Amino acid sequence: MDIMIVDDERIIRESFFHWFQKSGHKVATAASGKEALEKLAETPFDLLFVDIKMPGMDGIELLAAVKAAYPETLVIIITAYGSIESAVQAMRIGATDYLLKPFKPDQLSLVMEKVVQQQKRQSEYNYLKGRLEKITRFDNIIGQSPAMTAIFELITEVAGADASVLLAGETGTGKELIAKAIHAKSPRANLPFIAINCGAIPDTLLESELFGHQKGAYTGAIQERRGFFEVVNGGTLFLDEVGEISQKMQVDLLRVLEEKKITRVGSRQPVAVNFRLITATSRDLEAQIRAGDFREDFYYRIHVIQIDIPPLRKRREDIRLLAAHFLKKFCHETTKRVDRISPLASRVLETYDWPGNVRELENAIERAVVLSKSRLLNDSDFAFLRPPPVTATPGTSLREMEKYHIRRILDRHEWNVTRAAKALEINRVTLHKKIKRYQLKPAGGKIGSR
Amino acid sequence: MSGSTNPDRAKSAVAVIPYAGASTIAAKVIAAHVSGYLNLTVETRPPEKIPPDALDKRRRQYNAATLIQTIESMHRKDCFKVIALFDVDLFTPIFTHVFGEARQNGRVALVSLFRLESHMNGSSPPTDRVLERAAKIALHELGHLLDLLHCDDDRCLMYFSGSVDTLDQTGFNFCRYCRTALRRKLRQEGIIDTPT
Repeated sequence: MDIMIVDDERIIRESFFHWFQKSGHKVATAASGKEALEKLAETPFDLLFVDIKMPGMDGIELLAAVKAAYPETLVIIITAYGSIESAVQAMRIGATDYLLKPFKPDQLSLVMEKVVQQQKRQSEYNYLKGRLEKITRFDNIIGQSPAMTAIFELITEVAGADASVLLAGETGTGKELIAKAIHAKSPRANLPFIAINCGAIPDTLLESELFGHQKGAYTGAIQERRGFFEVVNGGTLFLDEVGEISQKMQVDLLRVLEEKKITRVGSRQPVAVNFRLITATSRDLEAQIRAGDFREDFYYRIHVIQIDIPPLRKRREDIRLLAAHFLKKFCHETTKRVDRISPLASRVLETYDWPGNVRELENAIERAVVLSKSRLLNDSDFAFLRPPPVTATPGTSLREMEKYHIRRILDRHEWNVTRAAKALEINRVTLHKKIKRYQLKPAGGKIGSR
Repeated sequence: MSGSTNPDRAKSAVAVIPYAGASTIAAKVIAAHVSGYLNLTVETRPPEKIPPDALDKRRRQYNAATLIQTIESMHRKDCFKVIALFDVDLFTPIFTHVFGEARQNGRVALVSLFRLESHMNGSSPPTDRVLERAAKIALHELGHLLDLLHCDDDRCLMYFSGSVDTLDQTGFNFCRYCRTALRRKLRQEGIIDTPT
């Protein structure tokens, strides 16, 4: 067990140190609450023995700080100035036990037995929590919000049907993960899953990649090559950013979807293909159709079933869960001992708009873990998450700018009107009027006012 | 525990020193047990005076940490390990009392007879029970001097006993893990030569 003794008296620290050393525990000491917190920020401890009466930060204050930042760390209060009041107060804040020094050697043994039991319960709790985390995961997709729960149900429903699925959602919302989940739950699960980002491949190359080519079909085609339609061979083909492909390619794909046959570039011999198509887009395809950039017939072919994936800002209740998942992932990858996110930092993450969605959150946690020098990620570790500046183009009206700014400030203060009004340097009545005028509403909940 | 003893070290392997009024018989019993259990050469030395600065007048007890420090400085080179036997009550700053005290891998172990000479209910136990308790504590503390930790096995001498009742229930032997660790340590220190 990793134990820290926090006492301003050296002889007390030494006595504890020698006793625990003889029991094979790893013991550290701190002469003040401040030193203890510094050590805790660097290394995790299982158990702290804290003296109540210390200069500066006293034991009760330290106990409160430890319980707030490291709730799983057990704290035993020790004092020579024991009183029922301070014992009750300590136990109420979360102390595991209370020892009045000097104590009988047996008492310390009993306390240690109690600690071991509590640790056992904690590890059981952690195990169950881990199980619960797995339940809130769906094929590596994490979410417990109603929106994501509905998507998980939809995935299960559509997986069995062989219809084309269109996944619509902003960039970074995890469209490929959902496509993979549909594939994994479909009867084609044992066959290949091939993902192509149509936006990243030039049109001519995309044609060759999808349809394959004959030897000598064009300069550089030095040998025959099978395209993805053939390679997928009964599996699932996932075309990401389908809104990026050219009209000509849309016609070619439409034909493949209708005939289930392809013709390699440079060949006249049609080849039968069998695949399930899942497409994804971050664009508004209907608007593209209206603008004449996307073929309506192709659109209706690919969106037999449409799944709309909400952006992260519309399922804020998933942010904490996702952040914890990414924290665990990057701690494991970087072998750094960063094991928690402070409540203030969590609030920063929950109020940020995440234009890059889950991918941006993942990158933010990775960056914070890599650069962090302590076990705890604080709000300062996410200082790089600045809201994108409002770009005042000549077409932006003052009204739009004001509405945008008020919304951002309200979101930042969790729709606490008093705090938001203070930040905006206007009074609450004026802010309420503006909320009404601009018809602003919180993402889901009541407006708070304190 | 068996194994041949290094003749150069054997002469001063362990010294048992009674302090003030501590029973010389108890010292001899401890010496016999250490010698028997660990196959070490043990000598019983004449009684010495208790270092006066170890007395805490407020608590009317002797500070074990101060005693260890003083005795260590007095017997720096004349033996490998020292077992100091007292008939006064010993304490450490966190504990009301201790039956014995030793630092992990240290040189001096303390044993106090003060609280071994009565039962939990206040009655007096027979002398052989007191001597048995003293020998158990001496072997336990010597174990710490030889780098043994507290053992989870309540039949082992290295099991932590906070009361005389627990001490009486503790076995009079080292468990096989502690025995192996002891042998390894004594070999490392050159106290015994041959593996058994």
